[in-house]
Amino acid sequence: MLNIKNVHKSFGNNEILKGVDLSIDKGDVVVILGPSGSGKTTLLRCLNFLEKADQGHATFGEIDVDLHDAKKKDIHAIRQKIAFVFQNYNLFNNKTVLENVIEGLVIGRKVPKKEAIEIGKKALSKVGLSEKYNAYPSELSGGQQQRVGIARAVALNPNIILFDEPTSALDPELVGEVLTVMKNIANEGTTMLVVTHEMSFAKDVANRVIFMDGGVVIEEGSPHEIFVKPKEERTKKFLKRVLPEDYTFYI
Amino acid sequence: MSEGLNYKFLIDTFFVALSGVPVALLVTIVSLLIAIPLAFSLALTRIYRVPFIQRLTQLYVSFVRGTPIIIQIFIVYSSVPLLLTALFKKYHINVDVYNIHPIWYAFIVFSFSTTAVLIEVFRSALSTVSKGQLEAAHSVGLTTFQAYRRIIIPQALVVALPNICTATINLIKATSLGYAMSLQEITLKAKVAANVGYNYVEAYLDIFIVYLILCSVVEYGFKLYEKHLRKYKLANA
Ligand SMILES: Nc1ncnc2c1ncn2[C@@H]1O[C@H](COP(=O)(O)OP(=O)(O)OP(=O)(O)O)[C@@H](O)[C@H]1O
Ligand SMILES: [Mg+2]
Repeated sequence: MLNIKNVHKSFGNNEILKGVDLSIDKGDVVVILGPSGSGKTTLLRCLNFLEKADQGHATFGEIDVDLHDAKKKDIHAIRQKIAFVFQNYNLFNNKTVLENVIEGLVIGRKVPKKEAIEIGKKALSKVGLSEKYNAYPSELSGGQQQRVGIARAVALNPNIILFDEPTSALDPELVGEVLTVMKNIANEGTTMLVVTHEMSFAKDVANRVIFMDGGVVIEEGSPHEIFVKPKEERTKKFLKRVLPEDYTFYI
Repeated sequence: MSEGLNYKFLIDTFFVALSGVPVALLVTIVSLLIAIPLAFSLALTRIYRVPFIQRLTQLYVSFVRGTPIIIQIFIVYSSVPLLLTALFKKYHINVDVYNIHPIWYAFIVFSFSTTAVLIEVFRSALSTVSKGQLEAAHSVGLTTFQAYRRIIIPQALVVALPNICTATINLIKATSLGYAMSLQEITLKAKVAANVGYNYVEAYLDIFIVYLILCSVVEYGFKLYEKHLRKYKLANA
């Protein structure tokens, strides 16, 4: 469904992405792992044109775009299909929860307001925030804000949702509620590309895991292949560092 | 002062001064109408670091900030007629520049100086709204224009309003310098009235009171508007 070829991106002289290929099928839940600075965020941002790649190509269903010089029209078309959940939620602070969720529908897609409200309420009930329609983001906990962020993405009924470390800005006790919501929408068949350091999510929910380091994909496979019998030395080193001590006993 | 205040003159002149209010307000409003969009655009060139223009903007701001308004008035009031004379001569336009109403000079000077103040007000207010919200707006399909209009500007406005209020009040007070261009505003009108019988104390007292009332009313209006805009901000408190 989504095919990405040869994505390159530098900031100044610093080459962050050095030719990344990626292909995602409908219904996939793909987790990207990798050390800090390996270019995971940059990759997701390039896919949604929040960052302009230096080179690269994406095919998305019938849309076929160059990531470096896409036309406005193509960018808009791609953004209709890809939703983004941000590390820092990035909710619209001057809008209520429900307004946050329907903004993209009403303004971005010209969906009639009444219909958008229906869709928005449904999305909010999926993330367990049905009683919070009229609250402002500042009145919510971090976990609740991120769930609104997820509802905002879900409401757009995108072909794929990109998550950039959706739980890493949260207090530890709030991580669970967000992961549960993500698990639920994954189980509904939503296609997801998730950057996360939550290994449990990668192991239990993903059907494919990608390990990135230094701006390239080092290794990819099923969670079993990556966690239990990784082939590459760099993958092993990374897992050793991030997994609990006793995990090695199970390998 | 041995005879005390001339109360009749005080009251009569109060209304003379009051009759200058429309001119002061007109200058204030026209200057704001010119300065607000101009300052907003220039603030954006600073935020987006538009090469060349942003440097020019910076230069302009420090130039206007670093000189007293009265000097700016003298410069505009003395140099613009010379420029215009030369220009009109060149294109054979038959207009006597010395008949141009001083209010036009007031519009020029005050919109220039207010623009410089508002550039910084807008720039700092816009930068308080996280860049992430603009990205989020893009990601849900809003154009940059829609994102600014619906998400960024409403939030920046709440932050900027107290400073816009201060700028407006300062502008109203600065119009009193219009007397230097023979602009028939509050100060000039009252002073002229005082010239007749040397009742300067009464005249200045009237001027004082008129500005005080005018500025208080404007400030109160801003407070009301701020309260109205702050609805969502209350939740932030
Ligand atoms: N706008 C930018 N300008 C300059 N350098 C940038 C910019 N954005 C990212 N970088 C650099 O690119 C590198 C990769 O960043 P990126 O955020 O993609 O890594 P990441 O894999 O997401 O890391 P993390 O796990 O810490 O989120 C970092 O070294 C970062 O400093
Ligand atoms: Mg990152």
